[in-house]
Amino acid sequence: MVMMLPFVTAAIGTWQAMRGKRGSCLGWWLATFVIFVAWSHHHMTGTLPISL
Amino acid sequence: MQSAFTSPASWVRLLNLAALAAICGALLFAFIWQIAFNEPPCPLCLLQRAAFAMAGIGLVLNLRFGYSPTHYGLTIVSSMAGAFAAGRQVLLHIAPNDTGFGSPFLGLHFYTWAFIAFCVLIAFCAVMLMLEQQRPVPSPSAGAARLANSVIVLFFALSVANAISTTLECGFGACPDDPTGYLWLP
Repeated sequence: MVMMLPFVTAAIGTWQAMRGKRGSCLGWWLATFVIFVAWSHHHMTGTLPISL
Repeated sequence: MQSAFTSPASWVRLLNLAALAAICGALLFAFIWQIAFNEPPCPLCLLQRAAFAMAGIGLVLNLRFGYSPTHYGLTIVSSMAGAFAAGRQVLLHIAPNDTGFGSPFLGLHFYTWAFIAFCVLIAFCAVMLMLEQQRPVPSPSAGAARLANSVIVLFFALSVANAISTTLECGFGACPDDPTGYLWLP
């Protein structure tokens, strides 16, 4: 899992916004969100140390 | 000549700018803490930073292209994702005698502060959506535009800095759950 990927895509999205490309920025935000969900699945599906 | 923030639309711009500056402040503070106290962030901490970066994009779009429910929606969804990651980390350390991950700041760990910050961001967007009316956004004054551009550039630089830092810490593989150093640094 390449953990730096969401920062790279977020930076590219911000760069696109700075250049005035709104659609491209939205696309890169969506890519960042998809990576975030994938990483969340990888890192946040273990068992919690609590009992109910 | 009209001052930078006199009309209601200018105040909305100022609040969006303040929110983006607050995100920059949070990312910068976490970065400084990481370097000053040699505490590399864990994977969940990195996910929260990534969520801050995503939330900031919505605010950048507001400042760059004018206010839109779509832009606020981006920030809300990003903040919900971040609150989910932060809440998960709070639950990981909620058991008695668990000292938590990393050093606390003002009595709370960073993931607890992050959870609070994401909730505040969601509330901020909700209030802004309630207050704003559909109207054309006036062009900002030169000073206000320069200030906004400076904050946007800082936000961009922080995203790049986090990408570099994360690469140094984890390389191109998975980050350890409890990191103690940087994989690519001696």
